[in-house]
Amino acid sequence: MITHSMRIKVTVWNSQSFVLSLCLAVLGSSQCIAGQGVPGLRVEVRRKSLRNFVAQASADRDPRGQDQASQAQAPQSPPSPQVQAGQTLFAAQCAFCHGRDAAGGETGPDLTSSEIVEKDVGGNEIGPVVRTGRSDRGMPQFNLTDADLGAIVAFIHDEKAKAESKPGRRRNVQPEDLQTGNADEGKHYFNGAGGCSKCHSPTGDLAGVANRLRGLALLQSMLYPKPHKSDSADSPATVSVTLLTGQTVTGRLAYQDEFVIGLTDSSGWYRSWFKGGVKFKVVNPLEAHSEQLGKYTDETMHNMLAYLQTLR
Amino acid sequence: MRLGSCYLRFLAAGLLLLDVCYGPAFGQGADRGLDSVTLLKPPADSWPTYHGTYSGQHHSRLVQITPANVYRMTLAWAFETGQTAEIKSTPILFRGILYATTPDNVWALDARSANVVWHYTYPPNQGLHIGHRGVAVYKDSVYFTTPDAHLISLDARDGKVKWNVVIADVKKGYWTTMAPLVVRDHIIVGTSGDFDNLPGMLKSFDPETGDTQWTFYSTLPRQAPEAFSGGATGGNMWITGTYDPQLNLVYVGTGNPTPVLAAQDRPGDNPWTCSILALSPDTGKLAWGFQPSPHDTHDWDAVEVPVLVDGNFKGVPRKMLLQASRNGYFFVLDRGTGKSLLTTTFAAVNWSAGVDKNGRPIPNPAKDPARDGRLVAPDEGGATNYRSPSFDAKTRLFIVSARDAYGIYFSKPEHGEYGWAGADYGLFGKGMLEAIDYQTGKVRWTHDLGGGGSAGVLTTDSGLTFTGDSAGNVLALRTIDGTTVWHSRIGHVGNSPITYELDGRQYLLVASGGTLYAWALPEMPRAVKQGSRSQANPRSR
Repeated sequence: MITHSMRIKVTVWNSQSFVLSLCLAVLGSSQCIAGQGVPGLRVEVRRKSLRNFVAQASADRDPRGQDQASQAQAPQSPPSPQVQAGQTLFAAQCAFCHGRDAAGGETGPDLTSSEIVEKDVGGNEIGPVVRTGRSDRGMPQFNLTDADLGAIVAFIHDEKAKAESKPGRRRNVQPEDLQTGNADEGKHYFNGAGGCSKCHSPTGDLAGVANRLRGLALLQSMLYPKPHKSDSADSPATVSVTLLTGQTVTGRLAYQDEFVIGLTDSSGWYRSWFKGGVKFKVVNPLEAHSEQLGKYTDETMHNMLAYLQTLR
Repeated sequence: MRLGSCYLRFLAAGLLLLDVCYGPAFGQGADRGLDSVTLLKPPADSWPTYHGTYSGQHHSRLVQITPANVYRMTLAWAFETGQTAEIKSTPILFRGILYATTPDNVWALDARSANVVWHYTYPPNQGLHIGHRGVAVYKDSVYFTTPDAHLISLDARDGKVKWNVVIADVKKGYWTTMAPLVVRDHIIVGTSGDFDNLPGMLKSFDPETGDTQWTFYSTLPRQAPEAFSGGATGGNMWITGTYDPQLNLVYVGTGNPTPVLAAQDRPGDNPWTCSILALSPDTGKLAWGFQPSPHDTHDWDAVEVPVLVDGNFKGVPRKMLLQASRNGYFFVLDRGTGKSLLTTTFAAVNWSAGVDKNGRPIPNPAKDPARDGRLVAPDEGGATNYRSPSFDAKTRLFIVSARDAYGIYFSKPEHGEYGWAGADYGLFGKGMLEAIDYQTGKVRWTHDLGGGGSAGVLTTDSGLTFTGDSAGNVLALRTIDGTTVWHSRIGHVGNSPITYELDGRQYLLVASGGTLYAWALPEMPRAVKQGSRSQANPRSR
């Protein structure tokens, strides 16, 4: 049990000297975090142990692993203090969604191949996204100082440069990866079992779709086209609401939960009602896509993509 | 010091304070704080562990708020952390104090007023700040895990640090979010870490000293001579387990294997990843293991709460364990042996080739992530996730926030065999609350939750079920049939609701964003009570 006087010391434990004494006193020096409070040392230690781990884990198993390990061991210039600071911030705030190397993680996209990052100069594109968030896509807003934001931006650009020098290691999907389908079979499915032709036409809405969308983006859009914004302007769903007076109001579906229905009417006004007080009918063409997800096989999915890629 | 002033106030204020200092919840005699006997039978004025009780049923016996009066509930108080981090934690209530967390932060709040008794802030650190599930309280200490994988003991009175020990090495890629499990003199904590090929760990610490008592590894480093997982690492244990005091076994779920999506270099079942394990709390020794997802390639941790239920199963008295797993399967096990009693799906599933003779789903290799992509249900977020389901013994219903969801999974040799080693993208998800009859696995009712859902679930003996929908409503439903009887749009419910009774008044506690909301039935203000009495009295005379 640690004495009361020691408790008081612990409250100031961001002091590096105290970290060391705490480690020695409580944990034993071998368990202490080497270099806590010395970012440069910490980064070096991490990189080295990661390289060793990869090399050890794969050297006797797989020649591809050896390639990776030797790639990882290529000499690198030490990152700037700003990039190092950005790495720490990114690991804590951003890495779960975007991956620790910014190349994509559990839910967030690969930032090293992001268009926003590509266009960004000194945070002019990244900054607003970080500060305001993208609530419609699950990204929260972050309150950061200019210095912290600048460090994160510097880190992202540094990772982008690294990723581009090692194209094989990026966790991404190239259009050439997706060329396993049969376009004729896909056309057959489009017009038959898939039911796609009930709503779509290769000479109408889908004319030239392969020029507008490529690879993964085309595949995702084919499977379930997500509205780019949660507002009504982008939603294909419509609703017809019949009021107690008998009057009917129609428009784009703007909001719906268990209790309230909202629409944007033909003159652009948002209107809403409690569901209990009106009758309503929603027509959502995307339901055909969600139902189809349970019907596709991987083969029919790839065939359909092959067919859509012919619509140039 | 706090104890001393308590004694003084006790002398000054007389017997009234006896209840505050030595209330029936906390035993007679010396002020030991929250003891292990109380943890076995928590009183109504407490929610002393992550799950409320050791069973993990996330159910309350309270009956003041009912389906008939819940519509009258009113906001008792709201507490804003002032932070952007979402409260994912299940608060602990002990001695009228609530302990709630976000990464790096613990608040001790007066449960009557939301007054901040103390606020502990951990220094900036490089650990992953994905979320925080809550603290554990034992005796007079609060145990808190940090993003950089430390375990800290705080004085429950004032939040002062008693000790701070390392659970795992943050530089290797570990982090921690878990609310520790207290079993007698063991503080049991698991690790997280998906981005590196790291063994999953569960550790037990001495509550007084912070010394490590034992470490259980669900996998070992790939190159270790005694490695037993077919080349897989991972299997982290990041959700608080449950405990059977009669069998003296702790039950805990383990996470996905690493490399996560690349399967070719880790053949076989990859034990003990994506597993339900029974361990001795005294030694960490494995009693049995059951794998909901043998050879997982889709990030479907089996860490969802292993709920302990006693009762008849098909006419035979059983001690059972129920889990709705992230992979879309619902399992009933005999928790003495780990043998399967029932395996069924509770959401859209297209990745298995049936169920084997031991009740384990058989992974279909054609649904492993591939270069050209595989359409898989559920998606990575899963058919359910870590927030608590609830079990209602009266209706025999296991109620869980579920999703029918699809994603596409990619992996190719160029993605390597380290960390994520692939890519996957969610396509579509439909959320619903499902009430599963555990005797049959059949869904008795579903309640549409919109696109996502995923809030935790609480049931009460009065026949109420509390949860949240994807639009941001906190909902009260009738447990018997899922009918809505109350709602309030506070924003997305980020934790598992809890309930408790203080001063004869039942509270419902729910988190949304960085705010905690406490609801209760309305109380007549004292002035109105007195006014009505003075008006009524003349008439009666």
